[in-house]
Amino acid sequence: MTALRLLVAIVLLVVGRASGQEPVPGTFRAFDLFVDSGNQPLAAYQLSFAAADAKIVGIEGGEHSAFADPPYYDPKAMQENRVVVAAFNTASPGQLPRGRTRIATIHIQTSASVVKQYELKVEAAAMPAGESITVKAEAVERNPN
Amino acid sequence: MKQIGLLVSILLLAGAAAFVVGCRAPQATTPLPGYGKGSVPSYAGSLPALSRSAQVPALPGSRPSLGEEIWVVARTRSISEPHDTPVPGQGSLVIEEEKGKHVPLPLKHTDVKATIQGYIATVSVVQQYHNPFEHKIEAIYVFPLPENAAVNEFIMTVGQRRIRGIIRDRAEAEQIYKEAKQQGHVASLLTEERPNIFTQSVANIEPGRAIDINIRYFHTLAFDDGWHEFVFPMVVGPRFNPPGTTNGVAARALARQPMQRTRPGNAEAGRAGPNGPHDAPGTSDQKIQLSRYLRPEQRSGHDVSVQVDLQAGVAVEEIACPSHRVDIREHSPAHATVALRPEDHIPNKDFVLRYRVAGDRVKGGLVTARDERGGFFSLMVYPPAELRRAQRQPVEIVFVLDCSGSMYGKPIEQAKSAIRRGLDSLQPGDSFQLINFSMSAGQLGRQPLEATPLNIERAQRFLANLNAEGGTMMIEGIKAALDFAHDPGRLRFVCFLTDGYIGNESEILAAIETRLGQSRIFSFGVGSSPNRYLMDGMARIGRGAVAYLGVKDDGAAVMSAFFDRICYPALTDVAIDWNGLSASEVFPARPPDLFVGRAIMLAGRFNADLPRQLTITGKVAGRVVNVPVQIERSEMPARSIASVWARTKIAALTDKMLNGEESLGAAIRQLALDFNLTSPSTAFVAVDSTSRTSGGDKTVRQAVPVPEGVNFDRAISNSE
Repeated sequence: MTALRLLVAIVLLVVGRASGQEPVPGTFRAFDLFVDSGNQPLAAYQLSFAAADAKIVGIEGGEHSAFADPPYYDPKAMQENRVVVAAFNTASPGQLPRGRTRIATIHIQTSASVVKQYELKVEAAAMPAGESITVKAEAVERNPN
Repeated sequence: MKQIGLLVSILLLAGAAAFVVGCRAPQATTPLPGYGKGSVPSYAGSLPALSRSAQVPALPGSRPSLGEEIWVVARTRSISEPHDTPVPGQGSLVIEEEKGKHVPLPLKHTDVKATIQGYIATVSVVQQYHNPFEHKIEAIYVFPLPENAAVNEFIMTVGQRRIRGIIRDRAEAEQIYKEAKQQGHVASLLTEERPNIFTQSVANIEPGRAIDINIRYFHTLAFDDGWHEFVFPMVVGPRFNPPGTTNGVAARALARQPMQRTRPGNAEAGRAGPNGPHDAPGTSDQKIQLSRYLRPEQRSGHDVSVQVDLQAGVAVEEIACPSHRVDIREHSPAHATVALRPEDHIPNKDFVLRYRVAGDRVKGGLVTARDERGGFFSLMVYPPAELRRAQRQPVEIVFVLDCSGSMYGKPIEQAKSAIRRGLDSLQPGDSFQLINFSMSAGQLGRQPLEATPLNIERAQRFLANLNAEGGTMMIEGIKAALDFAHDPGRLRFVCFLTDGYIGNESEILAAIETRLGQSRIFSFGVGSSPNRYLMDGMARIGRGAVAYLGVKDDGAAVMSAFFDRICYPALTDVAIDWNGLSASEVFPARPPDLFVGRAIMLAGRFNADLPRQLTITGKVAGRVVNVPVQIERSEMPARSIASVWARTKIAALTDKMLNGEESLGAAIRQLALDFNLTSPSTAFVAVDSTSRTSGGDKTVRQAVPVPEGVNFDRAISNSE
C-alpha cells in the first residue's frame, strides 16, 4: 500500500487558456491523458481525473495499440463527476508503449468558459510482470473546435 | 486496497479474455443489395425480386425540411388483401430523398456474438449505421433485447476511434445528447423503454460516414425440461395501446395534423385512408415511438449475423435451433460454435438456441464472483426428484386465448391446437373454462365446466369458431380469468395464450398481482417474436411458469409438456436454507414454486463462503419437505455476475412498484448507476467532443419488418 502511495503523482495544473470568445453554456471539450513511463514498458495503469464544473460524457482509448480500447471506469466515482479509469495489457514488453503516450481521452461537458482547474492522479502503474513503476502523468486540453 | 479496486477488477477480466474473443464486430459488412457489391440475397419462399421503383415507398405530403423527421411509409394496400404468408421481400427499402433519387436506410447490419458459459450468456451487439444521404442525419432505431439483459457496456465507434459511453440519470443523459446534437457533435444515446425494448439514437452522422454502436449485456438462460435456452430477439412486434394509455408503444408517426379518433384513446386505430389503414398520416399520443413497419414484400436492407460460442462445461448431448437455419461446429464434447446461416439473415423473429447436456448433470448450479464490493452469486435450483413420486390433485384449468388481430393466421391456429390438446388431456374430476378476448372477453360457460366428454366436445366446437381480429384488451381477459370464486377442491391453473403485443404491460402485471389469489398463471408466448417481458412477468407474478410456441413449434406438443408438468404437485413455499452461511439480498425474495422440469433462478450476495450443499424446504401437497441439494460451483468474471445480480434486483424492485411503492424508483436508479446498467431511469450517452459538424440534420427512423407469421394488415391496423 505504501509502495502504491509512492507511485501516486498528483498533477494540478491551472490552465489559463485564453479564448477570444465566450463559450455557450454546456460546451463539449476533450482532455488527453498522457502517461510517461520512461524506459519502462507500460502494462497497466489506473488514473483518476476530475475537472471543476464538468460532466464526463465519453472516454476514448489511447494512441498506442496496447491501450486503444477505451478503458473501463468506476461507476461510483463517475457519480461524483470524477473518472477513475484503468486498463491492462498482457502483451510482451516489446509490444507495450514506453515513454510518453496518450492512454485515454476524456470528453467532458462544462458550463465554464474556461476549465480553470482539474486534477489528474496516478493511482497505480505496472510493468508486464506486475512490478509497480513510477510514472508521470499529464492532462492536456485539446484545442476547442 | 480500495484505490486499486478498479484495477483489480480489470485484471480479473483477464480470465474473461477468451470470453471476449470474437466479441468485436468484423468490420466487413454485408453490402446492401442493390447499393453495393454483391448479389441480391435469396430467401426461401421469397417473392420475386421487386424492381427498384416498386420498392420506393411514397412519402405523404411534401418532402420534410431540415429538422423534420423522415418516416418511411409503407406502400398502402387494401386491408381486404391480407398476407397469409408474410415473407420478407428482397432488396432494400429506400427513401425518396429527392424526386427520383433513392437512398437506403441508415442501419445496415447488426452483428451478434454471444458466449455461453454454463447458463450465463455474455452478448456483444454491434449496430452498424451509415449515412447514405447528402446531408447530416440523426438515426433512431427501436429494438428488442432479452427481458433480463443486464446492459452494462456501450461504445460508439467513429472511424478508428472508440468512445465509451457513460451511464447517467436518464433525463441528464437525454439533455447531454440534445445539447451535443444541437452543437453539431457526433453523439449517441441508449435508453430503456421496457426491460426488453430499447431506443438507440445517433446524432450528426455526416454524409458517407459510418458509426458503430457496440452494446454488451449479460443474462441467465432459461432451463426447461432439460434444455437450456438462449434467445436473441430481433424485432419488436406491433403493440396495441388500450384507451387511456399514454405510456404505451406506438408504431405510427408523430402527428403532422390533429389526431382523429375512431375509438376513445386509440388514435387512428381502425381508421383507413383511401388506400387502407396506412394511408392516413400517423399520429400517436404514446411515449414510445416505434418505427413504421415494412410491408411483407419490403426490406430495409438491414440484416443480422449471429454467432454463439457454447462452452457448456460438460458434454453437450444435443443442440437445436428451432427458429433459424444454422451451422454447428463441435470443437469438443463440451464446446461448440453455432452460426446463423447467411440465407437466414432477416431480423424478423427471435433467434432461439437450445442445448441439452448429457445425463441429468447440469454444471453451474452455483456461479460465483467476487470483487471489491464483495461476493455475488447466481444459483439455479432444479426441482427435487421427490416431486415425481406424488400424484396431483384435481385441477381447474382456465384457458385464455388472445383473439386480437395480431394473432391472425398461424399464431391463433397454433394456440388453438395447443388448447385442443389441453382439453383432451383433462381427467375426470378436473374442471375447465375457456375464455377469449380481443376488444372484450367472452367465455364458454358462466362457471367452469366439469371435464366430461360432452363438455369437452362442446368446448372444442366453441374453440373452432374463434377468430382473430380487433384490439388486445388483455385486462378483460385477466378479469374474466381471475375474478371468480376459487374452488377449494381444485388447484386453479390459468393458461394465457397470447403474443403479448400490448403497450400497457404494467397495468396487466399489476392486475395479476392484485387478483391472483390462489391461482397460478402459465403464460404461453405465441409466435416468432412474442413480448417476452410480459410473458415472463405474467408467469413470475402469477407464480407459474412460461412456455413459448414458436412458429415452427408444435402447439400440441408444448401443451402436452405443460400437462406432464402439472401431473405432479409443485413444491410450494420454497425457501433456501444456506446452512448458516452468509447469503444476503437474494432475489427474488420469495422464490417461485418449483414445478417438475422447471428450474428457478436466484441471485444474491455473500461475504464469506458458500456451501457445496444447500437445503431446499417447501411443501408438497401440504406436507413439509426438506431436500438437500448438492451444487456444483464455478467462477465467473465479477462484471457478469454482479450485473446479473443487480439486474435481478431491479426486476424485483420493479415488481414491487406494481403495488404502488413508487419510492422504489430512486433505489432502482441508484442501483443502475452503481452497477453501470440501463434501467427506466438511467441511460448511456457518448459524445465525441473533438469535432463539430455543421448544418441542420434530419431524423431518420429505422423501419422494421413485422415479426414472421404476423399478418401485416390485421396486426398493424390494430396497433396504434
